[in-house]
Amino acid sequence: MSVTDTPPLQSPGSGDTGADDRISPPVSTAGAHGGVKGLLERHALLLLLVAVAAFFSFNPASGDIFFTQQNASVLLGNQATVALLALAVILPLVCGYFDFSLGAIAATSTVLTAGLMSFNDLPLGLAMTVGIGVGVLIGGLNGLLVTRFGLNSFVTTLGMATLLGGLIQWYTGGQAIVNGLDPRLAQFGSTTLLGVPQVVYVVALIAALLWYLLAQTPFGRGLYAIGSNPRSAALVGIRVQRSVWTTFVLAGALAGLVGVLALARSGSATADPGTGLLFPALAAAFLGATAVRPGFFNVVGTIIGVLFVSVSVSGLTLSGASTWASPVFNGAALLVAVGLSHYLGRSRGVRTT
Amino acid sequence: MTETASPKAPAATDVVLRVAGLTKRFGATLALDKADLALRHGTVHALVGGNGCGKSTTIKVLAGVHRGDEGRIEVAGTAWDVDAYDPRAGRAAGLRFVHQDLGLFPQLSIAENFAFDAGYPTGPGGRVQWRNLHRRVAELLTTYEIDADPRTPVGALRPAQRTLVAICRALQDQEGDERLILILDEPTATLPQHESDVLLEAVRRRADQGQTVMMVSHRMPEVLSVCDDFTVFRDGRTVAALVGQRPTEHELVRHMTGAALARTIDESVVPGALDGDTPVPADDRPAAEPATAAADDDVVLRVQDLHGGPLRGVDLELRRGEIVGVAGLVGSGRSSLLRTIFGEHRPASGRVTVRDAAGRVHADGDPRTRMEAGVAMVPEDRAGEAAFAELTIRDNLSVTVRRKYWRLWGMSQRQERADAADLVARYGVRAASADAPFTSLSGGNQQKVVLARWLQRQPSLLLLDEPTQGVDVMSRADIYRTVQEAAAGGCTVLVASSDLLELCSLCERVIVLQDGRVAAHVSGAQLTPDHLTVLTQSTTEPPSPTLQGASR
Repeated sequence: MSVTDTPPLQSPGSGDTGADDRISPPVSTAGAHGGVKGLLERHALLLLLVAVAAFFSFNPASGDIFFTQQNASVLLGNQATVALLALAVILPLVCGYFDFSLGAIAATSTVLTAGLMSFNDLPLGLAMTVGIGVGVLIGGLNGLLVTRFGLNSFVTTLGMATLLGGLIQWYTGGQAIVNGLDPRLAQFGSTTLLGVPQVVYVVALIAALLWYLLAQTPFGRGLYAIGSNPRSAALVGIRVQRSVWTTFVLAGALAGLVGVLALARSGSATADPGTGLLFPALAAAFLGATAVRPGFFNVVGTIIGVLFVSVSVSGLTLSGASTWASPVFNGAALLVAVGLSHYLGRSRGVRTT
Repeated sequence: MTETASPKAPAATDVVLRVAGLTKRFGATLALDKADLALRHGTVHALVGGNGCGKSTTIKVLAGVHRGDEGRIEVAGTAWDVDAYDPRAGRAAGLRFVHQDLGLFPQLSIAENFAFDAGYPTGPGGRVQWRNLHRRVAELLTTYEIDADPRTPVGALRPAQRTLVAICRALQDQEGDERLILILDEPTATLPQHESDVLLEAVRRRADQGQTVMMVSHRMPEVLSVCDDFTVFRDGRTVAALVGQRPTEHELVRHMTGAALARTIDESVVPGALDGDTPVPADDRPAAEPATAAADDDVVLRVQDLHGGPLRGVDLELRRGEIVGVAGLVGSGRSSLLRTIFGEHRPASGRVTVRDAAGRVHADGDPRTRMEAGVAMVPEDRAGEAAFAELTIRDNLSVTVRRKYWRLWGMSQRQERADAADLVARYGVRAASADAPFTSLSGGNQQKVVLARWLQRQPSLLLLDEPTQGVDVMSRADIYRTVQEAAAGGCTVLVASSDLLELCSLCERVIVLQDGRVAAHVSGAQLTPDHLTVLTQSTTEPPSPTLQGASR
């Protein structure tokens, strides 16, 4: 499927497609990059991460276990899928579009990859390809609906997520798929290399590629321009619709990969609709938009965001906090981060909505 | 002031709105200088004049947007000094305004649009009495001869009907005694001809039934066809009050511009320009005739019989290094012409060819292929269509040449920084650093950045739409110099502007658009703001039926 690059406006009256559902990052502090304050703002999240890690390392309640290579390994392995999904989420967000279906795409990919091996005895490679391919297809469909037909991305992808959740239930019959999976996959998910789970290397590689794409290519620069003002972007020769569509496809592919990695980590596929994965990923993406390049969704900030939340939650858990601590902390961190950057942005007199 | 009262001048009691000695200053500028205005009951009154003559200021003072400095306002027998006059006083006395932007909600039904103004009729418990509302609105629509159901969304109506709905809404609380005064600010500016005919007929019928109407318009034939009285402003002064007369177009225009200029109208209008059939528009300069093949190589932009949107057969030829202006009223197709040339709008028919710096000729295309052919466009709406507000000045500059900085290892930030610093210095952008956000700049400096963004591509054709809108005086001079330097370097420039003085100071020749056609070419000594005012406001005699037939 392809999207030809029609200019977003045929006539001034028709309005640019999807303009009404475009979102902006939680802050748009627009980087007054000079000065101590700017420096502090850019690295606040990283400093906070270090501070939290140090606190739990020296805290007697958690220190013994927290500051061990083993805990770090578990932590990284468990957060690899969230991190990768967060990276997928920021792609459409950079252009100003939400994709709520990415969690469901990941779950669909997990279930489908497992199911094809378990029910249809397909080889591992083919099952994985289908899992990721479905992600690409759904991403492409989302992108088409949002760009070509100008549907609201928020609602479209929410509908898609719900639809996929239902299909997962139908496909699995509500049962977890445990048997008949290729053992190599689970083996890959559980082995470590140099003390770090192998999946982490996959995520790191993709993070590096995405960083290159977003920060170091004309295409990536164009995406930020679209996110800033799609009308202006079209008038400086950026193919707005095609670019936005591409981010949806890439995000879908990454979500498909997240599904495969999740299957590798857990060794089984449950009939979960994937929202459990999506919200931490969204939170990390928005946290990340307050760091490194404040006001813009960016790869490094997102990774720091994921680490910050997971380190904090791990420390809290080891200190004896209950299971509810994790979501409460997630939510609180997001609210504080967004509020703080909004305040910083306003104090500099920069538009923040 | 030439008060030209007719024998049947109104008795004082007949005047329902009187503005006397109204003066308004904006800083050092005198927008209104003891202007007078008197509306008779039950008439349609035209307030006409060139750009900046004080029409809009008068309306804004009456609406209470601006407060006048001196003078008196008298509405329906109640008089105020201007410093005691406010929006509520005007409304209470019966003034009702319909602005050019009608202020309707296109997605909502006619009835709801009425209700937002007058309130919803509610029953017990605050429930909206829809049946009541619809019945009342249906009655009003019938009274105003608007053939539509109250449940129809306003957006589904024809343009003229929309304006009528706005008028009807403004007058909805009028009881039988017809005491409200309706003030229309350029009601037909954005309407096509047949739609404005419908609208004006309806306005005329209301007036015949006793409604008092004042309208501001630039379209002389229209005001001549519907209005009873005329007030002409020039430079903030009332220069003529024609009561109950039937002036000719030339008379009106003579008042608007001063006597001497009106004579030149006929001389400068291109013969046959309105029939859309002249392949090569005549030009005052003989050198411009594409007589030889060599001269033809010099043509950077050729527009042939261009139709689409408001454009109805535009022909145009621009040569290397020329600065050509486009003048015309709102709705004449100024912006559309530029946008169509840039490939943002696809033309319905006709050809636009562009010759790039290497001499290759490119047929139509989208903005991206146009850019590759050496075309650049600075759009009118800077905030909405040119700015990347949250991004840095550097990002805003490099966005048109992103590919240039791409190396295998990524974007060459060093080179990008150096280039940005160069551009900022060269075009005199006053910024703390190129890494500051775009929004930290003043309007003038923002426009310089947008201009620099394009000029670094060394375009062969630069399209400027209102290049100095919202730009301070100093930056304006900088921008003019920049454009002139670019032209001297071989860049062809096409400038659309509503600022006629700007066109006269910047351009060698100016084309005047009327209703989507080239109505006149002006150059040399005739290129003065007053003369352009005359040409943009007036229409010549319509082409004869045979010519019209030939053009279709």
